[in-house]
Amino acid sequence: MKISRRAALYTAGAGAAALGAGAVGIGIANRELPEPAAPPATDDKGHVVWRNWSGIRYSYPQSRIAPASEGELAHLLKHSPAPIRAVGAGHSFMPLVPTNGTLLSLDSMAGLVEIAGDEATVLAGTRLGDLGPALASRGRAMANLPDINKQSLAGALGTATHGTGKTLRALHGDVTALRIATADGNIVDCSKQKNPDLFDAARVSLGSLGIIVQATLKTIPSRRLHRRVWLETLEETLSAAEQRWSTHRNFEFYAVPFTGLAANITHDETNEPARPRGPETDSEFLTVLKELRNLFGFSNTIRRAAAQLLLASTAPEEAVDEGWKLLSTERPVRFNEMEFHLPAETQLSALREVVLTIEKMRPDVFFPIEARRIATDDAWLSPFQGGPRGSVAVHTYYKDEYEFLFQLIEPIFRRHGGRPHWGKLNSLKGSDFAALYPRWKDFISLRQSLDPERRLLNDYLQKIFATQPE
Amino acid sequence: MRQWTSKFPHLQSPRTMGVACAVVSLLALYGCDQRPAPPSAEQLATLEPADSRLSKLYEHSCKACHAVPGSSAPLVHDRNAWDTRWSKGLSVLRNHVIVGFQAMPAGGQCTVCAPKDYDDLIRFMADREN
Repeated sequence: MKISRRAALYTAGAGAAALGAGAVGIGIANRELPEPAAPPATDDKGHVVWRNWSGIRYSYPQSRIAPASEGELAHLLKHSPAPIRAVGAGHSFMPLVPTNGTLLSLDSMAGLVEIAGDEATVLAGTRLGDLGPALASRGRAMANLPDINKQSLAGALGTATHGTGKTLRALHGDVTALRIATADGNIVDCSKQKNPDLFDAARVSLGSLGIIVQATLKTIPSRRLHRRVWLETLEETLSAAEQRWSTHRNFEFYAVPFTGLAANITHDETNEPARPRGPETDSEFLTVLKELRNLFGFSNTIRRAAAQLLLASTAPEEAVDEGWKLLSTERPVRFNEMEFHLPAETQLSALREVVLTIEKMRPDVFFPIEARRIATDDAWLSPFQGGPRGSVAVHTYYKDEYEFLFQLIEPIFRRHGGRPHWGKLNSLKGSDFAALYPRWKDFISLRQSLDPERRLLNDYLQKIFATQPE
Repeated sequence: MRQWTSKFPHLQSPRTMGVACAVVSLLALYGCDQRPAPPSAEQLATLEPADSRLSKLYEHSCKACHAVPGSSAPLVHDRNAWDTRWSKGLSVLRNHVIVGFQAMPAGGQCTVCAPKDYDDLIRFMADREN
């Protein structure tokens, strides 16, 4: 059963409507939980609320700043009310950003500084969606990209944001140098040759060592990629996954709960002429899955049969284009997410357990569960430090409950040796991180020396970095 | 099954489903969308507020979704998409932007926008600057 995702959307959309039948069915299919309660737009002092992308984190910063130069940034770091927290796209689901002190945007410090050889120096506020075309115009590309293109470079680096590919590192793994503005207003450069400890600590540092001003990245020649997307049974995918990670430049798959199916996505370099991907269709796919949930959530058997009936028809989706146009997408449907990075050898068994648990306990879940593979690197707080990792990500629609992730899903990930994505939901404490990261105490010690007054730590970071070095 | 449907109220009972499946004749209505064509790709790429500061704010935030067909956001200067929203009143729209609403993330991804900036950006996107 090979099925094009895009064609499946339309087939499934019509089919779900047919099964739901008419206005009543449509009403049922569209029924969902109400919009989550929003915090007040302003607090009692008139400060306007900041919320993250999904809406679950918020605060009322007394100051919002957007410096346009590193000099201005350094001055503001020294004089703005603490805690000072940088924000990019606000895509972190953990409370990394909330502050009632200063909210710092690097939007005015964005763009390509220079390209020298195979390295590009980029201002830290540059959004990934803008960096792709900027590099492509100079014949260069980032080796890999994450799913979403909205993040700022600094935010993506600071949280160890990653794509997929057995030989491809997370974004911070391709950084060769950083320039950082520290809390005391100094500008510091670091690399493997200069301030190497700072370099190894700062590549993944949650904005807690200083504010990244610019990063120098290894780039590759811009090449077209051949994208293939197809559906097959989840069992077929699980059997072939390791081989696909070994043979494709990029491979990932989405286990679609309650369907017995998985959507597979590969990207490989090609010299074929461009065949653009066309309009984004993931949102429609999600709508179909949501309708299937709403219509058939009372029975796993019927839900699975309906899904397989609806999705069993057409050819795989294919596209050829530059990597930045294919690897990252808009992802306009809001969600909350838990993602853990597991040792490669436990990834698929953890995934099986997650799917079984969700299908047994949580019929409200309809988002596909994402599985990716990431090469190792040596940043101190990189989840990929010490060996390659396989990630498993569980998403919940932003209107739906997500607390169950902590009770049902996180224990599975922990039992399989997982490290959480820094920006995604987890309940780990400082002592847990200390057990997962060999250089944890070194990081805390270095952090303390750079920011002894803790001006860069909000409540959450105060808690996880509370462990004092021995 | 009953436990599921009571715990998750958006899931439906088999009985309700039976009623739903009986109403087949309205199927043709599903998916019909007679909205006029939105602004052209060139317009979406080039439209921007006249004020340079506001233009930068738009470029860094709103444009990421409101100039991208298929993003589910009402496209800039698409009166058909904006008319019903505009009828709710500017204060309602401003509040939706600040706290977030449906697919719209809070603040519209603009970290440094003040409430008046949101008013001006809404007016621009809704083609109500005058």
